[in-house]
Amino acid sequence: MHWKTRSRLTGWILGTVTVGFLLYQWLPIFVLGLLSFSGPTGGTTFPMNGVSLHWYRELWDASIMNDFKPPVLRSFLLALACSATTVVLSVTAAQAVRGQFRGHNLFFYLLLLGIMAPGILVGFGFALMMRLLGVDPSWDTTAYITHVSWTLPFGFLTMLAVFNRFDPKLEEAALTLGASRVTAFRRITLPIVLPGVIGAGLFGFSLSYDEYPRSLFTTGADLTLPLAVMAQLDRQLTPELYAIGTTTTLFSFLAIGVFTFAFWTLRRRVQPR
Amino acid sequence: MSTIRHRSAAAFWLAVPAGTWMLAAVVVPTLLIVWVSFWGGRAFSASSPLTFDNYARFFANAAYLRLIGQTFLQAATLMLICGTLGYCIAYFLVCKVRDARWRTALFLAFIIPFWTSTLIRAIAWVPFLGTNGVINQALMATGLTERPIEVFLYSMTGVTMAQVSLYTMLAAGPVVYMLASIPPALREAAMTLKAAPVTVFRRIVFPLTLPGVVIGQVLVFLNVMADFATVATIGGNKFALLGNLVLNFYEGSQLRFAAVAAVLLMGCMLAGVVLALRVVDIRRLGAR
Repeated sequence: MHWKTRSRLTGWILGTVTVGFLLYQWLPIFVLGLLSFSGPTGGTTFPMNGVSLHWYRELWDASIMNDFKPPVLRSFLLALACSATTVVLSVTAAQAVRGQFRGHNLFFYLLLLGIMAPGILVGFGFALMMRLLGVDPSWDTTAYITHVSWTLPFGFLTMLAVFNRFDPKLEEAALTLGASRVTAFRRITLPIVLPGVIGAGLFGFSLSYDEYPRSLFTTGADLTLPLAVMAQLDRQLTPELYAIGTTTTLFSFLAIGVFTFAFWTLRRRVQPR
Repeated sequence: MSTIRHRSAAAFWLAVPAGTWMLAAVVVPTLLIVWVSFWGGRAFSASSPLTFDNYARFFANAAYLRLIGQTFLQAATLMLICGTLGYCIAYFLVCKVRDARWRTALFLAFIIPFWTSTLIRAIAWVPFLGTNGVINQALMATGLTERPIEVFLYSMTGVTMAQVSLYTMLAAGPVVYMLASIPPALREAAMTLKAAPVTVFRRIVFPLTLPGVVIGQVLVFLNVMADFATVATIGGNKFALLGNLVLNFYEGSQLRFAAVAAVLLMGCMLAGVVLALRVVDIRRLGAR
């Protein structure tokens, strides 16, 4: 066999694997969406017994037991707070590492630890610590602290990668022309790395919004969305759960859309070509 | 010259907030777990005597030891499947897709689910796996089986299937990055020197992507070791890995045993990471 034929054959095989995996990855999400529109007598799998918005209505007029509206609001507010905190802390942390202060290697590994340390350990350890200190866990205090410890390293690595590709000559030019370091950072550096900052913000938002293991140990009585979903799954699996799953997945897509749009607009403003 | 002076006090103080946060939220709690795992007595207090009893009692139970073995086996299975699949996908995306627009579209199709809830994606497997699930319905419709197969839901097979869909991109991502950074000239040079495509791949391409492979494997390893949510959702409390054990002890208010299980989990994961960090330098990624 000629090597070109063989190369094309490899391409086809790998292509089949890729498309196959793509289907494998997306099919459950689509089926979840499809089943959420099943009729009032529809079960948790096919047949759907008609098409309706019944389960979305159930979701909306929910009783206190399975009302998802307060958890959604909590998760949303928490994610916003984490996003803002991640942006500020990851920019300062990455800028600090550029300064190569004494111990910046250790600092790098400390932040990397936040990604490596599994949520179940961080959550459990933090719960133990709060118990020793006598602090009651709550979604807006203890859960917030553990969430940021998870989102911050992602934002930090994003900013570090952005700064790695950043052309320091631009800063040098500003400084040579007499700008102070703060002014040069604010007027030159920050606008150029702004797309990366948006990326850090997206990490902060979406990782916190979907966080489960850390929340499980540190949230207390008022549940966030993933906890409420899991609690409902333990009680009873109904298409209502598919409806909430579809809604939050669409919401995630919307969030990605908004952030991506912001990203492109900013990129275009920085590089007007 | 840059906006931050080398080794300045400003650089140090800029690092303090993030550093303090990570210390308080990750390092101290982790050390606390280790401490609590040695606590004797019954009360939850800092004045508990320190003993090895908790460990002795944990290791005396063969079921727990088997569970650690199962956890490693599950991680190894996933590393093998996700690693192979991930490398194929990464190679196809970078080397075989010529059209830049197609490549971007495929990338997005792979990456977008990463931004949605892992929990929801695990739950999305439930309607597929049951006795009346989509897979069984499809199998029966095509006449491959007459009766539904009961191996999917509430089984480790189902858990593995869901985890493959969740974690393969973690293995593929770093490889995509490494493949994309190989200069085409290297490959051309080898081809000019009459190396067969297989030889080019084995001697040039694969060694250069090795750091990406290692990082991908570490990511899959860490995620599978710590994943208790998928096991609980799809395994339906019939199965437990080390992570579930921590949670079960915690919910049963056996904090000392939960701490012991957590320490063992931590030890296993740490060993994996240290091993991998000896092979590649993660800090060099992203630099050009």
